[in-house]
Amino acid sequence: MSEQRPTDTEMLTGRGSTCWYDEQNACLDRRVFWDEHIYDQELERIFRRCWLFVAHESQIPKPGAFVSTYMGNTSVLVVRQRDLSIKVLVNTCPHRGNRVCHAELGNARGFVCNYHGWSFGLDGRMTGLHEAAVFERTPGFDKRKIGLPQAAQIATYKGLVFATFDPAAPPLDEYLGAYRWYLDIVLDNDERGTEFLPGAFKSVMRCNWKVPAENFTGDALHAGWTHDAGSQAVFGKGINPTSEDGLQININGHGWQVDSKYPVGNAATLGYKSILRYFREREPAVAQRLGAVRARMAGAISSASIFPNFSFLPGQSTFRVWHPLGPREVELHAFVLVNCGAPAEIKEAYRKGNMMTFSPTGLFEIDDGENWEFCTQSNRSAESRRQPSHYGLGLGSEVPSSELPGNVFRCQVNDANQRAFYRRWAQFMSAKSWTDISAC
Amino acid sequence: MDGHLGVLTEAAAVVPTEVSHTVSRQVERFLYREARLLDQGDYDAWLSLLAPDIHYWMPVIENRARDDPEGTYAPERLAYYDDTIDDLRRRIVRFQAKTAWAENPATRHVHVISNVEVEPGDSPGEVVAHSVFVNYRSRSERDEVVLFGRRRDVLRHRDGVWLLARRRILIAQNVLLSKNLNVFL
Repeated sequence: MSEQRPTDTEMLTGRGSTCWYDEQNACLDRRVFWDEHIYDQELERIFRRCWLFVAHESQIPKPGAFVSTYMGNTSVLVVRQRDLSIKVLVNTCPHRGNRVCHAELGNARGFVCNYHGWSFGLDGRMTGLHEAAVFERTPGFDKRKIGLPQAAQIATYKGLVFATFDPAAPPLDEYLGAYRWYLDIVLDNDERGTEFLPGAFKSVMRCNWKVPAENFTGDALHAGWTHDAGSQAVFGKGINPTSEDGLQININGHGWQVDSKYPVGNAATLGYKSILRYFREREPAVAQRLGAVRARMAGAISSASIFPNFSFLPGQSTFRVWHPLGPREVELHAFVLVNCGAPAEIKEAYRKGNMMTFSPTGLFEIDDGENWEFCTQSNRSAESRRQPSHYGLGLGSEVPSSELPGNVFRCQVNDANQRAFYRRWAQFMSAKSWTDISAC
Repeated sequence: MDGHLGVLTEAAAVVPTEVSHTVSRQVERFLYREARLLDQGDYDAWLSLLAPDIHYWMPVIENRARDDPEGTYAPERLAYYDDTIDDLRRRIVRFQAKTAWAENPATRHVHVISNVEVEPGDSPGEVVAHSVFVNYRSRSERDEVVLFGRRRDVLRHRDGVWLLARRRILIAQNVLLSKNLNVFL
């Protein structure tokens, strides 16, 4: 594989990406985890093209409500409009580039740049400026043509708001494809829909964004080992051995790995019997709504990720974005999703249960960060980067499935979803535009 | 920052006139000893300083505009800690497990406690103690994290000993600038 390394020119034009992931041998070039050029290409070819999660509708309930987040490394404001539609504005003044909003959330009538007083409405259009008379006599200056840059497309899927900077991106429904069938397990198991609990866990991990993304898309292998101590704390014993019944499923690079043999396995880690009762009591209603197969997946041992960087755990209900703020830095934003119709005590159990498991103090998350940081750091050494990273676990395990959409693989302990993630990654990195990118 | 610290010190206007020098000194010694036990990772001894009904709370700090009426933290929002004694015990089970990979080799802690102010509490036998902390963590070879914050504690005197009955911890960070919080503050 070392002989096939792309030249700098290939890397900059993206043609080298097929070499970074060697499909035939299921091997990945470790430079993808730290190289500045590759990261720059990812910002252009992945984060400016893909549909990215930006908010849950419940975070911005009324006109003027906004949250600040990132699309790739671009700071954006997700803003509820007066007509209740949503706009995604780039948080940068068109004058000198300063942020126009420094709060992470709130309610606003508009946004004003602190530097020279340029002001903008909720819709991003310029509303005023300091020393206006001088600008107005400047040839070519037209206030009506000035505004904050915006996402090219915005769409929602059952409460989740996504945006893309690429006007040529296919519709969100097509981007998600049949993955929506699985998403409905968490987003549509109750007629009243979902909401995020108030607040967010935001933390910094000095790792490449793909390390946690590939972990959530399909790394069942690490769960019993990395998280043994967390499991000891919650259950007094290690995590159940993975059964042969588990599956990995992927669609368009989005992954879902699940073992329905333990239908409340992940939910149990939250440590609240009330949550398990909630799952068991609701199973018939969920089965009626979504069918028996999906009803058993709702709280099961599982993890999932939407390409490129939006991950979640269906059982625990942590929803999280790995914002790539550099090749070796992630800003993690983690939220807790609940059914709007859940009783108050259940919502409270989710709030505390997520704190105890998947937060910076969480019994499980606490042992993840160090692994991911040292994977990123060590892969940079001159010797380590010569060793291709192996993703061959479970090669040949694809099975036909009539009841499950997508590419289905038997046995949850499998690299199948990670292979699909890097195949998708390589497809985006080598594509000249969306016309070169096909469903998979 | 001023606004945030303003919220942190809202109770400081109460002049601490009714707490004796002896009690103040006892409370200071309690807090310093507690810090030493945490530095040593002696969690069993640390647990013995906690009241059975303790509420140990460290809310997430939101980066909101100064005039936002919602405030920078609230009980119903996500928290780093919102613990009962059983929750704390559960965390200690993990800390002490052989497979707690992020604790081995052991994290090197220094808890610096300062600006201690002791005031009368709301109930007999209780006092309110304000303090600030610097927490230094070093792991592995070069990994280091420094956290600054302020605490408001309620200490209760029972059967000749002080116990920690309430703790509210407010750190001076919005985005936690580290990968985890494997520490009690």
